[in-house]
Amino acid sequence: MKKSCFILVAVTFLALLNGCANQELIADVDPATNLSALNTFYVVRLPTDERGVEQLIAAELNTMGKTATSGVSPTPPASVDAVVTYEDSWMWDITMYMIELTVYLQDPETEYRFATGRSYRTSLVRKTPEEMVKEVLGKIFEKQTAGESQ
Amino acid sequence: MRTSGFIGVSFFILLMTGCAVGNQYDYRRAEIALPVAGGGTVGMGVLENREYVLSGEKKPDFVGLQRGGFGNPFDVTTASGDGFTSDLADALEKGLRDSGFAVKRLQITSPGASAVQAEIGKNGETRNIVLTVNEWKTDIYMDMNLHFDLFLEVVSRDGQILASNRISGEEKVSGAAMSADKNSRLAESALETKIGRLFNKPEIINALRI
Repeated sequence: MKKSCFILVAVTFLALLNGCANQELIADVDPATNLSALNTFYVVRLPTDERGVEQLIAAELNTMGKTATSGVSPTPPASVDAVVTYEDSWMWDITMYMIELTVYLQDPETEYRFATGRSYRTSLVRKTPEEMVKEVLGKIFEKQTAGESQ
Repeated sequence: MRTSGFIGVSFFILLMTGCAVGNQYDYRRAEIALPVAGGGTVGMGVLENREYVLSGEKKPDFVGLQRGGFGNPFDVTTASGDGFTSDLADALEKGLRDSGFAVKRLQITSPGASAVQAEIGKNGETRNIVLTVNEWKTDIYMDMNLHFDLFLEVVSRDGQILASNRISGEEKVSGAAMSADKNSRLAESALETKIGRLFNKPEIINALRI
């Protein structure tokens, strides 16, 4: 009985600990959309975002060779190929960290979301917001490249 | 000792199933952005054609499974208590209105072609959107997987099919979140994406712009 209890506790502990090291990186791109044809982007700041994630996304797009700006207006100040929106979630575990980031690319006129990327990282596999942004955008554009080569 | 063992086992079972029972998703919150900007009035009906619902094996409010610690499945249902197609119709109507259309709801009670044509002939508009749900359910264990099969038709008042598109598949949507509300949001987001994709076909867009 003692042994059974020990195994039960150990299994429960491992199951709980496993939840601390969970990670997901997923992208979903409409095959009818050619992402490589998109060059100009406008990133809309999430009203509740006080950490400037929109600037990180715009900066990463610029690093990728695109032209991106960001702002608080829900509509781009100038004509762009795509509008970028996002949702971010944060958690506390010794320090605050970004647990989840979802990025959407959408049509400037209809707001149709033709690409979505999402990264989910719990505490033990946490990354900086800059790295989260980079891996999400990388996954979105990698997905398109993989689709084109098929 | 026997008592503490019983408590331990009970706690373990509770832990493994506690998050799995009674989950509900609110698809009415889905914000469907369609790749078409239009005008005028369209008829719109959403048809239930999931085999397990038509057979009575599952109720119309069934939207998926949430599995407990041993993979044991528990039904997930709509938060509204209405059928999934009713929630989907509400969300789609809002999406169409946001895209500039006025919407007239069609009440199609049977997925048969004659029932569809009869309703369109009686209450339809020049352009009618008929969305048939052959499959829609999420299945959550360690991940959220989506099973979907959606068929969209744009039908004229005289029953002519102007355009159609079908998407189906089984895919991983995400890792499972720890809360039902988070999972609901993920499921809603998947619905937003899939319905948008269904409409993103030139023939569909052109048919709706007539």
